[in-house]
Amino acid sequence: MYQLEIKRFLRSKGMVSALLTLLVIGVLSLCIGQQFVQKQTQAQAEIARFQAEHINRNVQFFDKEMGLLLYYLRFTLVNSSHPLNALSIGQRDVNNSIQSLTIRGLENQKYDTDLHNPVNLLLGNLDFSFVLVYLFPLLIIALSYNLLAEEREGGTLRLLASQTGQVSLFLLRKIGIRVLAIGLCLLILLGVALFMFQLPWNAETLAFCAIALAYVLFWFSLSAWVISWQRSSGFNAAMLLAFWVLLTILAPVGINAYLINRYPVPEALSVMVKQREGYHEKWDLDKAVTMDKFYAHYPQFKRFPLPDKTFSWLWYYAMQQMGDDESRAATLELKSKLKQREESSRRLAYFCPPIHAQLSLNHLAGADLSNHLQFLEATARFHEKNRLYFYPRIFGDEPVHNEKWGAFKVEKFQAAVPINWFSSLGPLLLLSVGLLGFGLYGLRQIKIEH
Amino acid sequence: MQNNLFLIARQHWRSVLSSKALLPLLSLFYVLLLYATLTGWQNYHAQNQVRKSQQAQVRHDWEGSPDKHPHRMAHYGYLAFRIKHPLSIFDYGLESYTGNAIFLEAHRQNTTNFSEASFSSSLLRFGDISLAMLLQILLPLLIFFLGFNSISAERENGTLKMLFGQGVKWSELLFGKTLSLLAISSLFFLPAALVLLGIGIFEAAQFSENLSRVGVLLGIYTIYIGILCLVAVGVSATSPGSKSALLRLLGLWLLWAIVLPRSTQALGNYLHPSPSKVAFDAAIEHDLIREGDSHNPDDPHYKAIKDSLLRVYQVDSVQQLPFNYSGFIMTEGERISADIYNRHLNRLLQIYDRQNRLAESSAWLNPIAALRNSSMRLAGSDFAAYRHFQQQAETFRYHLAQEMNRLQMRLISNKKLGPNDKPYQISRKYWSELHDFDYRFLSMKQLNPSLWSGYLVLLAWLMGLLLVFWVLIKRLQIV
Repeated sequence: MYQLEIKRFLRSKGMVSALLTLLVIGVLSLCIGQQFVQKQTQAQAEIARFQAEHINRNVQFFDKEMGLLLYYLRFTLVNSSHPLNALSIGQRDVNNSIQSLTIRGLENQKYDTDLHNPVNLLLGNLDFSFVLVYLFPLLIIALSYNLLAEEREGGTLRLLASQTGQVSLFLLRKIGIRVLAIGLCLLILLGVALFMFQLPWNAETLAFCAIALAYVLFWFSLSAWVISWQRSSGFNAAMLLAFWVLLTILAPVGINAYLINRYPVPEALSVMVKQREGYHEKWDLDKAVTMDKFYAHYPQFKRFPLPDKTFSWLWYYAMQQMGDDESRAATLELKSKLKQREESSRRLAYFCPPIHAQLSLNHLAGADLSNHLQFLEATARFHEKNRLYFYPRIFGDEPVHNEKWGAFKVEKFQAAVPINWFSSLGPLLLLSVGLLGFGLYGLRQIKIEH
Repeated sequence: MQNNLFLIARQHWRSVLSSKALLPLLSLFYVLLLYATLTGWQNYHAQNQVRKSQQAQVRHDWEGSPDKHPHRMAHYGYLAFRIKHPLSIFDYGLESYTGNAIFLEAHRQNTTNFSEASFSSSLLRFGDISLAMLLQILLPLLIFFLGFNSISAERENGTLKMLFGQGVKWSELLFGKTLSLLAISSLFFLPAALVLLGIGIFEAAQFSENLSRVGVLLGIYTIYIGILCLVAVGVSATSPGSKSALLRLLGLWLLWAIVLPRSTQALGNYLHPSPSKVAFDAAIEHDLIREGDSHNPDDPHYKAIKDSLLRVYQVDSVQQLPFNYSGFIMTEGERISADIYNRHLNRLLQIYDRQNRLAESSAWLNPIAALRNSSMRLAGSDFAAYRHFQQQAETFRYHLAQEMNRLQMRLISNKKLGPNDKPYQISRKYWSELHDFDYRFLSMKQLNPSLWSGYLVLLAWLMGLLLVFWVLIKRLQIV
């Protein structure tokens, strides 16, 4: 029985060529992901070499004063990219994953963006997650919209009912074959990816595959539900496409517009203004104002009294510190707004599988907003660590050549990716089961004719 | 002839109007238009208000700065905020992906930061909702949906034969249906057009300029809708049945709206890879070092300058020069570094242009791409508009740095200070001599040359389809 159906399925040349097209686009998307990851790895290799050269050159040049040298020296923190990033580029093309910072003010350095062609960002990446989120559903719709209606419209349904007895079983078998075909297609692509990117066999990869499969299942359930209304094939096609437009286009853009207006971030600009003012105004104020605040922040540096000179590096770095300290309130506000944005979008996504799948895949690939926020926090810690290391050496005016400069290598940050199986698979599976239930209920009785 | 054409148009118009699908679709579209208008409007005002008030604050702080050394002012620098064009309410274009604020200081070209995209969860990558997006992406789908059976249904019902029996010609049938579909589409388009007109009138930064932009936008969107109606009727006439007509039209829509834009851009990217920021910065630093280091007293480039200055002014040391020597050296250094930076930047922009060119030329295959480029450009939200902002900011930065260098050369003494001397200062009255950063949008006159190719493609589409109709009129079969 199955064999016959499989043969019929394979004989329809439209279906097979559609599957092959999807496979080809899928492989192309993997190549695009590979190119993206290669560019990132190359940049990370370059920065390591560049930092060594940079430190070397500056140490030779500015070898008299530690304070002056540290004015120029940049230290790099890299946000390591996850191997899954090749499958889901996410926000990694927008957000900078390399931070090269001097120990001067942090706030006017950490938001520096990467170079990018904004048209690329607008039109979006053709990565695997795009193929999964947008194109797989279309193929599922194309394979299933006429499943029952085709027989009815061709007049073969009556014959079928008399032969097989249980039309709904026959229908389920047909759907089953399509699920297998699409599932196989997906597994082939994931297999190629596994091989191509040497993905580790860990919970993240497993979760990634599980979400992809659950997402595909959702679209089959939705199709089954629409089929169970037992309307004409034209109606089914239009209805399923309407769902597709609603879920992959209208709902996401609508929610995004809502979130942007609901949580505006004017703080971003005021951080910039406050940081600049907080630092620069100190040049024209009494030094005691700056130093009192600085010693209050870092009591451990009270052992370095302010030298009796017009200019001293202690005073200079204390002023730089004030830029960060005085924009701190706005920075915290910005951070909490962004967290709210992230959380609301995740919560709203429960009801919209394409958004949910995309956000979950980006999360696993370390390419979402929360990853970037973690990287910004790590950047702040990294910067503080460098400050605390060099402040006493600058204030104590230690000789430049006492330091082992070769030891300052590029550091890497690896964000933790907590996997919540329930919240990442739950919404997809619940919706699928619900729709499938409705579908089966609707198919209890098959209408032979309209 | 005329009579039959209008008769057919009226009859089709009535039948669509009475169909059950129209009202829900129309109401859905109106709700979306309203939502897009309100959120776009709110976002535009909120953003511009914040940016303008920050810009005023920056100016206030700049003018309020006390007496200082001018080079300190050059490092204090300026912040420039990108103001949104009022028509960006209509078409967001690249708005969400371009930076909004840039710190301008001496010696250093900073990045334009704080784009909406950098603060967004991945949700933004599904797209923005704007009037233009609804017209570009959703409207074609609706037109195709309402027009897919315009001819094929007549054929399937057998009414086609009856019509021809009454002496109706193919030309009347095809153009009659197109006309009616055009009228139905205008039900969808008109409210958007009114909003667009409203933006042009009420958000008028430069009144006449905006209205002419609005006029052109209305024109190209009308042509675009005409193209879509012709495609719908043409496909309906040439397909074996209504179902296959619908599937073909949906396929076209997917290709135009979803598949082609991403894949052409991806291909452009693949063929013309752009450098990473690390490589870009390293290349600039490499050139800067080669050009000479103004900090190094033995640097040959700067030593040559010094020697020639001493010769011309016939003095023994730089302290005896009639102007501040380090001010002079910084003027020279700024010129060189800005030159190098701009050279690298232009090379980078050329790569971006090459990346984008493929997607732009896909307009010959994709009317949505043809419209998108022209629409963004007219709405002041395309890459050219962003580049224009960045150029103005860089010009302002260079001017600021060199103005401060000039003040230093003129007003700061050449004598070296001891460690406990009070630093040199000049009066704060000079600060207000520097004009404020006043961002100007590209004018229509500047835009026009780059717009013609977009119009041309749209017109070519229209003409091409009319030509196809002309052929169809002779070839089409009734059954």
